[in-house]
Amino acid sequence: MIPLGFFVALSAVLFCLGIYGVLVRRNVVGILISIELILNAANINLVAFNKYLGTPDGMGQIFALFVVAIAAAASVVGLVLVIAIYRNGKSIFADDYNLMKW
Amino acid sequence: MAEFVFCFIALCTCVFAFLTVTARDIFHCAVWLAFCLLSVSGIYFYLDAEFVGVIQVLVYIGGIITLFIFAIKLTAHIDDKTIKQTNKQILPAALGAAVFFVLLFKIIGSNPWAKIQPDAPVVSLKQLGLSLMTSYALPFEFISLLLLAAMVGAIVIGKVKR
Repeated sequence: MIPLGFFVALSAVLFCLGIYGVLVRRNVVGILISIELILNAANINLVAFNKYLGTPDGMGQIFALFVVAIAAAASVVGLVLVIAIYRNGKSIFADDYNLMKW
Repeated sequence: MAEFVFCFIALCTCVFAFLTVTARDIFHCAVWLAFCLLSVSGIYFYLDAEFVGVIQVLVYIGGIITLFIFAIKLTAHIDDKTIKQTNKQILPAALGAAVFFVLLFKIIGSNPWAKIQPDAPVVSLKQLGLSLMTSYALPFEFISLLLLAAMVGAIVIGKVKR
């Protein structure tokens, strides 16, 4: 049987790659894609701990489902914001956005 | 055999995630993300969480990736090779992520992880549905409220004003 630490390490890899993507990407859609990677890293941890520590009511899986729903809501609102800003400012690069800066 | 399967899926996940954050074309980036999420759903199947795996494929690959591709196609499709896709902080960002990863890895390596408990029950789909409707009914309702708010907000923000 695989030790639990392997799953945690896999999720750490995904998390760090997501952080790197968020920091480096200029395209806002790319940043949102990296955020999905980070949320998936959290999900792997939830499901793995649920399996290895054995909650009888499946708490970890249920919270993984909640995280999926919240990720869907977040990416919907984020992408609509990107499209609205693109329609007004004609740019999808995060470093061109200075509308709310003073 | 089971270890080999896990190593294969984990390697696929890491490689696809790496390609997701480093691909130059944003459309390729979305496609690599789809493959990465498929591998992650493989991890869920490996952990006996069939329902979460199926939901992952349905919601992420069926819904969110489609949404991303729509957003990419509705905004500028940049084929020009001279436009930079990464900003100036690539070196400190890579360094910071690497240092954070090494730190995490040290902590993970030094922790005595629990072996799987011999009587750890496999959560059945019936049990999942029961606890979703009884113990976790309140968060479930809040999630539905959140999804409704996100839907209405997306329509209001995305509406073209005449």
